[in-house]
Amino acid sequence: MVHSAEVGVAGPNFQRFPTMEEAVSAVVGQGSVNGHQSHSNTLTSNGSFVIAHLSNEQSDTSQCRPRHRFYVDSHLLGSGGDGTERDPWPDVPTAAKHILSMAGDGTLNLRPNEQIVIESRKMFTATRLERKKMRKQSIAKGVFFCMTLSLVIPVFAILGYLFVQAWPALSWDFVTLNPKRMGTEGGIWAPLVGTFFLVLMSLLMAAPVGVMAGVYLNEYAKDNWFNRIINLAVVNLAGVPSIVHALFGLGAFVLAAGMGKSLLAASLTLSVMTLPVIITSTREALAAVPKSFREACWNMGATKWQTIRTIVLPNSISGILTGVILQVARAAGETAPIIFTGAAIFLPVKDNGVGYWLPYTLKSEVMALSMHLYTLREQINNAPLAMQYGTAVVLIGLVLSVNSVSIALRVYLRSRKKW
Amino acid sequence: MASSNVADAGPNRKGSAFQSFRQIVDSVVDACEPIVEWMIRLSGWSAIVFVLAIFAFVFAQAFFVFEQDSMIPSLWMKLDFVEFFTSVKWRPTSVVREQYGIVALLAGTGAVTLTSMVIAVPLGLGAAVYVSEFCHGKTKETLKIIIELLAAIPSVVWGFIGVAVLGPLIIDITGSPIGVNVLNASLILALMSVPVIVSVGEDSLKAVPDSYREAAEALGATKWEVVYRVLFPAAKNGLLAAVLLGVGRAIGETMAVLMASGHKAQIPGGLLDPARTLTATIAAEMGEAPRGGDHYRVLFLIGIVLFVLTFLVNLIADVVVKGIKGKQNG
Repeated sequence: MVHSAEVGVAGPNFQRFPTMEEAVSAVVGQGSVNGHQSHSNTLTSNGSFVIAHLSNEQSDTSQCRPRHRFYVDSHLLGSGGDGTERDPWPDVPTAAKHILSMAGDGTLNLRPNEQIVIESRKMFTATRLERKKMRKQSIAKGVFFCMTLSLVIPVFAILGYLFVQAWPALSWDFVTLNPKRMGTEGGIWAPLVGTFFLVLMSLLMAAPVGVMAGVYLNEYAKDNWFNRIINLAVVNLAGVPSIVHALFGLGAFVLAAGMGKSLLAASLTLSVMTLPVIITSTREALAAVPKSFREACWNMGATKWQTIRTIVLPNSISGILTGVILQVARAAGETAPIIFTGAAIFLPVKDNGVGYWLPYTLKSEVMALSMHLYTLREQINNAPLAMQYGTAVVLIGLVLSVNSVSIALRVYLRSRKKW
Repeated sequence: MASSNVADAGPNRKGSAFQSFRQIVDSVVDACEPIVEWMIRLSGWSAIVFVLAIFAFVFAQAFFVFEQDSMIPSLWMKLDFVEFFTSVKWRPTSVVREQYGIVALLAGTGAVTLTSMVIAVPLGLGAAVYVSEFCHGKTKETLKIIIELLAAIPSVVWGFIGVAVLGPLIIDITGSPIGVNVLNASLILALMSVPVIVSVGEDSLKAVPDSYREAAEALGATKWEVVYRVLFPAAKNGLLAAVLLGVGRAIGETMAVLMASGHKAQIPGGLLDPARTLTATIAAEMGEAPRGGDHYRVLFLIGIVLFVLTFLVNLIADVVVKGIKGKQNG
């Protein structure tokens, strides 16, 4: 029971009452404060009454913590309810009756600076349970966002850092001069050309086989055990570690086929390794061509090969190209498969004439940009740091620009898709 | 009408020579149909051929001894297989007694793979959920492209980043005497294998029919509840496959680990200990191993172990993925 304390109705019509009963009566409009009757009998949709336990010095209820929260919903009929949000009282007098009885049996003891809030239940707004759920959801979303961010930030941080560190070395000469003194002086021209040759050779070998394999898997292969094994083989070929490909290249091309450590052996190894990239993307590109296109063509009497040549391939060429470009990027970056099969740590190359543009033959070893970076960092002690960073930046720049072409192609492709 | 007829006739007449040429080419190309179809078939089978060839050639280098005179290879059985699989001691160049035990290397691969997965799996799956469920349109495309770029950075560059950037950072922060260790390699590997996890995970979330989401939302579920109670159970297999593919990537990675792991053949006792993996051992020692010698063959044998290991991981991932596809079709 609240006797000595003063209890008030908050809001614009704030008043003090000696006891809680009087305050509650005032709320209902049956007590001595007649002036509030009109406004207090009904609660507007977002109105509320506050009965607070205040000391004499306090002049408002802003310091008070709500101890009880009761709900009123005038849209309800009957006199039921227990005043919770889920089961509100139908009107303010009922609320007052219940509050008074609760105050009477002592379950509603207000301590100083505590208040009772009587609200009208809001229609079409979140209940407390829903608010809790929404809070949980926004926390979950925030956590997922941070996870994504923790992947995105390192990319930019690393790229930025590498670029800043490489800045002193980057110049036109760095790209166009051949490396000298085991790579500690000069530029990176010869490795750059080597990477270009490796990529070109491996592309020439992997692209036809890969595209045809993709055509086979999507157009010819029926769903039987043999073709399921082929699919499995493609998946596993993609999963074989690059160093095992290197061992294969060493055993098969360098030794068994007698090519020796050479550009040819290295690019063959690279092409086997990157074959699954082309196969998978070709297959996806072909699968995206609607079946009705093929059926229409067959119905006009075209053979399978004519259909593929005139309808399927032209409609999927951009998707196939995307895969081929990805293969190029992959082949340019790989190091492990070419270490034993053809990449040289350092080769003396000519600085002018034909030897400058074509420093390698099919039978000779090559320098490659990826291998050059490994060499500068791990095999040679005195390579200037800026040159290491410079090589890394050129390699990344090469691979990323090739990749961006592929991405741009894909975006363009999607924008002009006709079906 | 007349003028349009003339306009139509112009290009037709002009193109007629070209078209007859086209027709000849077309008929020639069509005549090649049987040949082309056989080439396509052969290319289709090439994947199997290459997988078998990889195994065969690595196996041959590991086990067959090709004598100078005889064409018939004899088996190389000098290796103590019990020691190979149970010994911790990897001393291929010891003067006293060469020992080839791969337990330490397996432990190195295990430690690096496990630690990197502890980092990469939550981040990767979280990012997959965020990209797939919480963002749309341009943001989604941009995030996917950035994560793709993460996958495009070559492994040797990652290794370089590990040694040159992360190593000094680890020394500064943890006070450990060396910066190239399990922690360094794991962080690098985590960043390298995350794109696989994100893209496969996102694909498997996308494969869950929208009706599942709509049904859950109609019952009053929030987005987080949809993800947690509906999508995770429904896409369970795909997410598992994503993790397995990440593991496969981590086991097989060579250059980055070679540079960033510290390359010391021991069982790592903690995150700050250097370690050595199976892949890095091959890459580092193959160049110095005399051709046909014991060391050389053991390195090829490690290649077989790696091949089998990743084959199993990929096989399981594939079976798991096929599992969901079968269920959704049925």
